Amino acid sequence: MTDKALARAMGFGTAAAMALTQASVGFVRDEGYYFTAAQSYEAWLQLLLHAPLQAIAQTERYWSYNFEHPGLTKLLFAASHLVFTTWLGILPDALAWRLPAFAFAGLLSYWLCILGLSRSSAAGVLAPLLFWCAERTFFHGHLACFDIPICALWAGVGVAWLRGSGPRLAWTYGVALAIKHNAWFLPPVLAVHALLLPRGQRSAALRKLPWLLLSPLVLFAAWPLLWHHPLRHLGDWIAFHLRHVHYAWWYFGEVLRAPPFPIEYPVVVDALVLPLPLVVLLAAAGISLLLHFARLRPDPQRLLELALAAAALLPFVIRTTPIFGGIKHWLAFVALLTPEAASLLVRVSPSPRALLVAATATLLPGLWQIAHVHPYGTSAYGELAGDIPGAATLGMQRQYWSNNVTGVLPWLNTHCPPGARVYFHEVNVESYRTYVRMGMLREDIRYAPGPEQADYAALQWHREFRDREPETWNAFGTRRPATGLYLDEVPQVVVYARPTLPGAP
Amino acid sequence: MGLRKAAFAALVAIGGGSLLFDLTLTFRLPSDADWAEAAGALRAAAAPGDTVQIWPAWAERARLFVDVLPVVAEEDLRSADYVGVGRLWVLSLPRTPFFSAPDRALQARGATAAAEQRFGALSLRAWDLHAAPVAADLTRSGEWHEVDYVARDCLRVPIGGRFAARGAAGKMLHLRAGVIGERAYDADRPPIEVQVFADGSPLGRLEVPRTTRDGTGWRRLDVEVPEGATEREFVFAVSSPDRSRPFCLQAWTTR
Repeated sequence: MTDKALARAMGFGTAAAMALTQASVGFVRDEGYYFTAAQSYEAWLQLLLHAPLQAIAQTERYWSYNFEHPGLTKLLFAASHLVFTTWLGILPDALAWRLPAFAFAGLLSYWLCILGLSRSSAAGVLAPLLFWCAERTFFHGHLACFDIPICALWAGVGVAWLRGSGPRLAWTYGVALAIKHNAWFLPPVLAVHALLLPRGQRSAALRKLPWLLLSPLVLFAAWPLLWHHPLRHLGDWIAFHLRHVHYAWWYFGEVLRAPPFPIEYPVVVDALVLPLPLVVLLAAAGISLLLHFARLRPDPQRLLELALAAAALLPFVIRTTPIFGGIKHWLAFVALLTPEAASLLVRVSPSPRALLVAATATLLPGLWQIAHVHPYGTSAYGELAGDIPGAATLGMQRQYWSNNVTGVLPWLNTHCPPGARVYFHEVNVESYRTYVRMGMLREDIRYAPGPEQADYAALQWHREFRDREPETWNAFGTRRPATGLYLDEVPQVVVYARPTLPGAP
Repeated sequence: MGLRKAAFAALVAIGGGSLLFDLTLTFRLPSDADWAEAAGALRAAAAPGDTVQIWPAWAERARLFVDVLPVVAEEDLRSADYVGVGRLWVLSLPRTPFFSAPDRALQARGATAAAEQRFGALSLRAWDLHAAPVAADLTRSGEWHEVDYVARDCLRVPIGGRFAARGAAGKMLHLRAGVIGERAYDADRPPIEVQVFADGSPLGRLEVPRTTRDGTGWRRLDVEVPEGATEREFVFAVSSPDRSRPFCLQAWTTR
């Protein structure tokens, strides 16, 4: 098998694994918005096919929703839904919307494998496995969101920079730019990398850099919102992220609400949520890359991996960037360390059989974490945190994004009387509609804005929303839950029912 | 070569140890049967004035099973008020990671323990708090509000308003107050003041500043009640230039 064939196999295997395990993954808050955006963009695509000039004239009408993120991924979600659900009718809505996300997960494996293969075949196989064998990363691979796509392109731009032609670099970076604003950080990284290269390689790299000037064409083409009043929409996009709100986040018993955030925050969170063997191996990989950097003639690929990993983390150690979202905003930090981590794993193993033992020992805790916690990925913690109960005692963020509500939907479907009103707390109305649309929630169950207007309440345990539970007690006149989702005893979603209603204790 | 072997051995040991930790975690957690047995024991032994404290405070699955006694999830066992509680049943999960035994905090407040009962991975132990008996629970309302991340049996009083209650004077008046929910952390907000009067005479004042650090939002005032009538009218006047925040207070007297 050639290197490219192996990398392709890893990519297809990853995408297939995501597709096969997605059904149970709840719809995170952001997906609710992106599904809504995809429906609007799908309507625009249909208009484009029937009346192209009219579609071009009306881009702002269809594309203004979710203006804060570029169009490419949402356009792909929409196109996938148009083809596989609207036209062919062969996929359920959510799977069709998520399909492009699985492709990006596959691309990430492909590029990590390519980076690993430059060390050895075994490193090529192990690099993507190290990335995905943890519930947090595995969970994110399922979502119709931007975190895995931008992580994939982070690696993809790296590969294009190292091995691709100028046009290929321009195209790949353009795709990154059309996915998420994280891509703004990549040109300086590439420029610094070029300047740190030995003289001969430096001039070749610097000559490639201007190709990036063409990349915004991809952003423009993939984001029809920019086709009219581009400067205004670009300004809105940039301003949104420069003034992004800070969501409360629980960290070692303190709710972090505003800057300055702890400088060590992203590294510590990585260490606590990922399986311990992976943490150790990634730490060793980071040290190994730093040692390479200290050499007089550093290896260009290792230097780039270090630079890309550091750049993924950098915004979150300057202490003012919003830190919510677990590790999702700096997944590329983990990803870009995995090729070196895989290489270290190979190097410490004295024989192929020993490599099998070491790889098994490294990957099994992560596989167990997936088997044990999936699909509740935002709740996963590793051994350093004492798993989920240890993290609860340490005072760490319990969950986010509301997708854990899937754990109590079957109970609600069974017990709610017809037309019951349920307060879903953090589940936004967009996600609620998708649960109904997907048949995961009975369509007669209504969405209540608060406990006072509800018959049942499904409260997601968040430190900053603790006031919701006493409010529910006051409204319902009971302090005994009817049921709940508890992971290793730790409350995630607690369901209350008004006394006398079915299911009430 | 030696370093390589050591690294290999360390990696395998870390992986194996991690997996062992993960796989055995289930055995360190209570089963439904453990919870049911503990709830049954509480049902058999429950008496008026008893309350169940769960420990760690996140172990709220207890609420599904404990049906005869109030369940509280105080986070600071040493200074929690436990108003009107004579006997505190501490229901804990001692085999969970980073568990810190509640004994020292309870002993520090003068509580004494009875024998521990075990139900699988659960521990149940009754503590006599030796607390001064409550003379009057002035704010008993049946309402619950979260202040400082703990559900409190406190009465919501609008800022700018006052609350009056008649009750036995006792020896000491205890007042607790705080802003409900996350608004306690609102930046640049002026403090809230609670002035206390007994039969029209000033008894004390409690200032509730904006909370800047978790665990400091539930403010305390304990004052002696001067000699006089055995029953008084207590008035709590709440004021602040900013009236927008939800505020609650709890007050009681002890003998």
